Amino acid sequence: MGKTIAITGNTAAALGAALSRPKVIAAYPITPQSSVVEYAASMIADGQLQSSMVQVESEHSAMSVVQGAAMAGARTFTATSAQGLALMYEPYFRMSTLRLPMVMAVAGREMTAPETIWSGHQDTISVRDAGWIQIYVEDNQEALDMIIQGYKLAEDKDVLIPVNICYDGFYISHLYEGVNIPEQSEVDAYLPPYKQEHVILDPEKPMAVDPMTPGNLVMKYRKSHLDAMQRAFAVLDKADKDFGDQFGRYYGGTVEEYKCDDADIVLITMGAMSGTAKAAVDEKRAQGVKVGLLKIRMMRPFPKQQVAKVLADKKAYAVIDKNVVFGWNTGAVYMETQAALNQLGYKIASLPVIGGLGGADISLEHMTNVIEKLEKMNKGDDEQECYWLED
Amino acid sequence: MNYIELLDKKPDLVTPGTSACQGCPAELSLRATLKVLGENTIMCIPPGCMAGAGCVGWNFDSGLKVPVHITLLDNTAAVLTGINEAHGRDVTVAAFAGDGATSDCGFQSLSATAERGENVIYICYDNEGYMNTGFQRSGSTTKGSMTSTTPVGEVGKGKEQQKKDLPLIMAMHNPAYLATLSPSHMSDFVKKMEKAKSIKDGFVYLHIFSPCPTGWGFDGAKSIEVARKAVETNIFPLYEVDHGEYKLTVPNKNPKPVSELFGMMKKFRHVSEQGIQDVQNYVDKKYKTLQALVGQE
Repeated sequence: MGKTIAITGNTAAALGAALSRPKVIAAYPITPQSSVVEYAASMIADGQLQSSMVQVESEHSAMSVVQGAAMAGARTFTATSAQGLALMYEPYFRMSTLRLPMVMAVAGREMTAPETIWSGHQDTISVRDAGWIQIYVEDNQEALDMIIQGYKLAEDKDVLIPVNICYDGFYISHLYEGVNIPEQSEVDAYLPPYKQEHVILDPEKPMAVDPMTPGNLVMKYRKSHLDAMQRAFAVLDKADKDFGDQFGRYYGGTVEEYKCDDADIVLITMGAMSGTAKAAVDEKRAQGVKVGLLKIRMMRPFPKQQVAKVLADKKAYAVIDKNVVFGWNTGAVYMETQAALNQLGYKIASLPVIGGLGGADISLEHMTNVIEKLEKMNKGDDEQECYWLED
Repeated sequence: MNYIELLDKKPDLVTPGTSACQGCPAELSLRATLKVLGENTIMCIPPGCMAGAGCVGWNFDSGLKVPVHITLLDNTAAVLTGINEAHGRDVTVAAFAGDGATSDCGFQSLSATAERGENVIYICYDNEGYMNTGFQRSGSTTKGSMTSTTPVGEVGKGKEQQKKDLPLIMAMHNPAYLATLSPSHMSDFVKKMEKAKSIKDGFVYLHIFSPCPTGWGFDGAKSIEVARKAVETNIFPLYEVDHGEYKLTVPNKNPKPVSELFGMMKKFRHVSEQGIQDVQNYVDKKYKTLQALVGQE
């Protein structure tokens, strides 16, 4: 059963990591992630966590240390934000393409410039094609739970891909909420120790890990990686079900549907803004508007079948992106949703929305405004100009 | 076992068929290194000559007989750290990295690993530039040297800055053990490598001088002669720092002028007398610093 205490999202992330028993942690502090590193260090200092923690000089080295440890067979953990993620891009890409499973928490932050330290999804969205699985969560409980589930997903032999658990900086990282902390024995039952076999640096089994590789093999490796990405949907669904059976909390796997069944129009969100969106849906439902919410939980791989299934018979949808795609006047989740529906042959009126950049507020009024715009759209309407959630 | 017996008897853990240039002392040094470190070793080699020569595995034809990983150019020391932290048993975790990967983009990671006192062995083979990719200059290139990025022309006269003194910089990180090694002094080389292997209480940094016949422009048969000249001219003094105790392991009472080394290769052919004197002055000052550290003022 565990116990329920009031903690921040960063503490929840650190506790989720600690319950997963990583052998090696390497991390470098950065706002708004810093207290994850501090909390993990204090657990080690208090003898509550038996991990080697390497206090590195940069995020580039953080990812490099855990890559070395993972190649030697260890379960590892790190956490970062924005500029730190950008600095670690080189070993980040290599971690996934070496197919080394791990979990990295990301307290999402806007990318500089303009100089900013506040919330956003631009950091992880900008690296969505670096081979990692990316999961976005809505609150502190989901952050803790998904770090544990993340290891289950990453280490599955059908997957073997590292996982980012992305939670909004400040809105989750610094917000106190009641969080149920599972018992260690329960987590141990859900997440057994990991034994790595496909890559190992061990003198008893000499192996050249990642020798020079010709193009025809690079093609095979990439295809294998992409195939494993597609298998991750089913593995996450199973991880979610097993987790729910053990701990009583089910999240829906790749997406969460909220009042979508009889809805005519649908909001699509990702991360912390989903709570506000649910409140807006409730408010408009009370006024008789048939609106629902589709929360994207898994951004990489993109769950196109699940998204299309929910939207198939709807009149219109809006995607609220807390990021931008330079070159398109929209955000990334909108682009991905459009691509999914187009590929599967659906034509549904849609509205791209951008808000919440650099910690800008996404208010209840913003959400209800979006719903009102959707109400005015007819089935088959061409997509509208991007709607920016400004003050 | 003396060093000749050791080099003769111990198994060669580098496969045949590597494609290093004729007369490459880096390959020779790597083979000697692994003869000492032995089979219970995990090796990391970043991009550079030894990776390019196939020591990290190449077309299934060559590699090492111990576990090996080609790190990124800039993260070798951090990867060593991770491997070391993860291994539950006694394994020698070592790197064999060029001076570019060490003195330039990999330096941040190296400096931090030394500061943390990780019990790993970081070995730099110093051929004074990015030789594998056609001799671009590095921080470790000697002043005046012609390289492909410091070419000699009407205006350009080779590298304009003095060589970055990596071993002394690393000595200031307070490692458990540090040494400079030369393939021209194999008795000294093997002794230092054996000591490095025995260290269990902290970071080890070894710096090997590795003349490059292809890039520097001399006959591959003369690699050892060039390496010896670098020691004799104090361009590359042989010393060690064992837990803070400095020692010149091959004292040089009558150093030869650096011009003797300059005259042996093409990369210095254009250097003026003043240019040679600049390097002579730098080498003399550096040696005085070293003597002071040793306590031989």
